[in-house]
Amino acid sequence: MLKINNLHVAVDDGQKPILTGLSLEVPKGEVHAIMGPNGAGKSTLSYVLTGRDGYDVTDGTVTLDGKDLLDMEPEERAAAGVFLSFQYPLEIPGVPTMTFLKTALNAQRKARGEEEMKAPEFLKKARALAKELKMKPEMLKRPLNVGFSGGEKKRMEIFQMMMLEPNFIVMDETDSGLDVDALRIVADGVNKLRSPDRGMLIITHYQRLLDYIVPDRVHVLAKGGIAASGDAEFAKKLENEGYDAYAA
Amino acid sequence: MTHMPLSLKTLPNRRDEAWKWSDVSRAVSNDVQGADTSAPVQIFVPEGVTVTRTDAAATAANDTSLVKLASQYAGQVWNIVVPDGFSSENPIQIEGLTNGHAQISLSLGKGASVQLVEHYDGQAGAFVNSHLNVKLAEDALLDRVIVQTDPDDCVRISTTHVTAWAKSELRQHTLAFGGKLSRLETRMAGMGEGVKATINGAYLLDGARHCDMTSYIDLACPDGHIRQSVKGVTADKSRGVFQGKFHVRRPAQHTDARMRHDCIMLSDTSEIRSKPELEIYADDVVCEHGNTIGALDESALFYMRQRGIPLAQARAMLTEAFLASVFDTLEDEVMRESLLEKLRAWLEATV
Ligand SMILES: Nc1ncnc2c1ncn2[C@@H]1O[C@H](COP(=O)(O)OP(=O)(O)OP(=O)(O)O)[C@@H](O)[C@H]1O
Ligand SMILES: [Mg+2]
Repeated sequence: MLKINNLHVAVDDGQKPILTGLSLEVPKGEVHAIMGPNGAGKSTLSYVLTGRDGYDVTDGTVTLDGKDLLDMEPEERAAAGVFLSFQYPLEIPGVPTMTFLKTALNAQRKARGEEEMKAPEFLKKARALAKELKMKPEMLKRPLNVGFSGGEKKRMEIFQMMMLEPNFIVMDETDSGLDVDALRIVADGVNKLRSPDRGMLIITHYQRLLDYIVPDRVHVLAKGGIAASGDAEFAKKLENEGYDAYAA
Repeated sequence: MTHMPLSLKTLPNRRDEAWKWSDVSRAVSNDVQGADTSAPVQIFVPEGVTVTRTDAAATAANDTSLVKLASQYAGQVWNIVVPDGFSSENPIQIEGLTNGHAQISLSLGKGASVQLVEHYDGQAGAFVNSHLNVKLAEDALLDRVIVQTDPDDCVRISTTHVTAWAKSELRQHTLAFGGKLSRLETRMAGMGEGVKATINGAYLLDGARHCDMTSYIDLACPDGHIRQSVKGVTADKSRGVFQGKFHVRRPAQHTDARMRHDCIMLSDTSEIRSKPELEIYADDVVCEHGNTIGALDESALFYMRQRGIPLAQARAMLTEAFLASVFDTLEDEVMRESLLEKLRAWLEATV
């Protein structure tokens, strides 16, 4: 269970408050969606959960299964099972995708005191998954995300997510830039990962994604916190009516 | 032969334009080991290549002061001769050069092809000054690899002159870790049509190490093709120097010459000095130079950590990926892998 309590976050060396008392609980096994106007702080929330520099937590707590996330380095959070599908995935020049991912997987395993995954097993898993996600095999040989199209980068995020099998997933606008076919492939992948011991937080601007990945709860992030919440139907209402009712 | 004590006055200092960032005079004390002695030299050659020793040749008036010193104190010249049409799986290896002065000449006959591997691993506190004089006859190919792993109190000057005749080619890959002061200088004269050269190098510096990669490529004939990529990383209080010059003379039409120097500073206290230069008198040429100095990409590092890769490992991976490309043109895969191993070991210990 992810528990966020009274979270205050500021950027610009603490000068600019973005989140001002956000509280949210995502129980194991549930999928929650977060919607909200541009600039509300959705990506900020995703970065605070994953420990990016430059986002100062001035108050509040965040725990995952009782462990204090805010006290951990980004790589420790990853090893604890937190995965972020980035709104804008980074390019890693000179590092082949497979090398990158195998290093990441085994670093996580090592941190958890598990045995490394050997190359043949890793390759087998990666190949099968690439096929499932309809990715060109040569993409796995290229440096990670370098020269990939926007949609290819998003698909690569899902590929990494499914290889790493995290237990808490944050997806930041993974649907933006995907064509309908890719959206369906991505949604199928995400749905396969739904399980009683995995929580998900899906940030999106579009109801469309939520037709494929039906959320247990939908929240509006506005004015620095959760301004309203509802069930899956609530997303449709938001799409029709906009966020005016929740704006500052 | 005269054996005068090495005069610090004759060593270049920062008032000499070509040495303004590498003050040898200041780095060397009068009683340094190797100042006025000849260097131990070991040369291993494949069958068919000959090595002889002759008395030191007279130096030309326009030689650098260090080349003059080399001829004064080296005693003899080692002559390596590779006959016309020669080729071999086995390299020429130059070892030794741990202190003192050395003069070596290497001559490749027409159409000869050979690999030359030089390992510079000097003695603690020593001064090493070597001059290599290379002649590439028509269609000759020299595949040269330099690995420099001197201790941090060693001063090393390595000067190479290459005279390249028509359609000959130099492929040079250098991996350097610097020293108290090290300067690896390559001076090439393209004397025939269609000369090719790849002059790549990587320097990795920590502590207070200093490494200078200087090159001067002088093209006098048409259709030259030059590719140069030097990359560096500097940690702690180290200092990297790159000076590169392409001199394209009027007859050297259709020259295609590209020079890059890219460097990543791993610390705020390290220094990079860089001077890429083009001097062009021919009008129908493609010549470029580029120079970048930066730091590791923080966003990329965060992305890698988010996937579970610890910070130090992420830094090492990004740095390796950045540097490794200078060895992409090295065809000998075993050699390339051994250079990358050394590079990784450094990164693991330093980054
Ligand atoms: N590192 C930063 N430095 C300065 N300002 C920042 C930084 N990161 C975010 N902000 C600001 O914080 C606010 C929230 O940004 P954030 O990216 O979290 O919004 P968002 O809800 O994800 O928007 P969108 O829907 O457009 O993706 C914006 O005003 C943004 O400009
Ligand atoms: Mg955003």
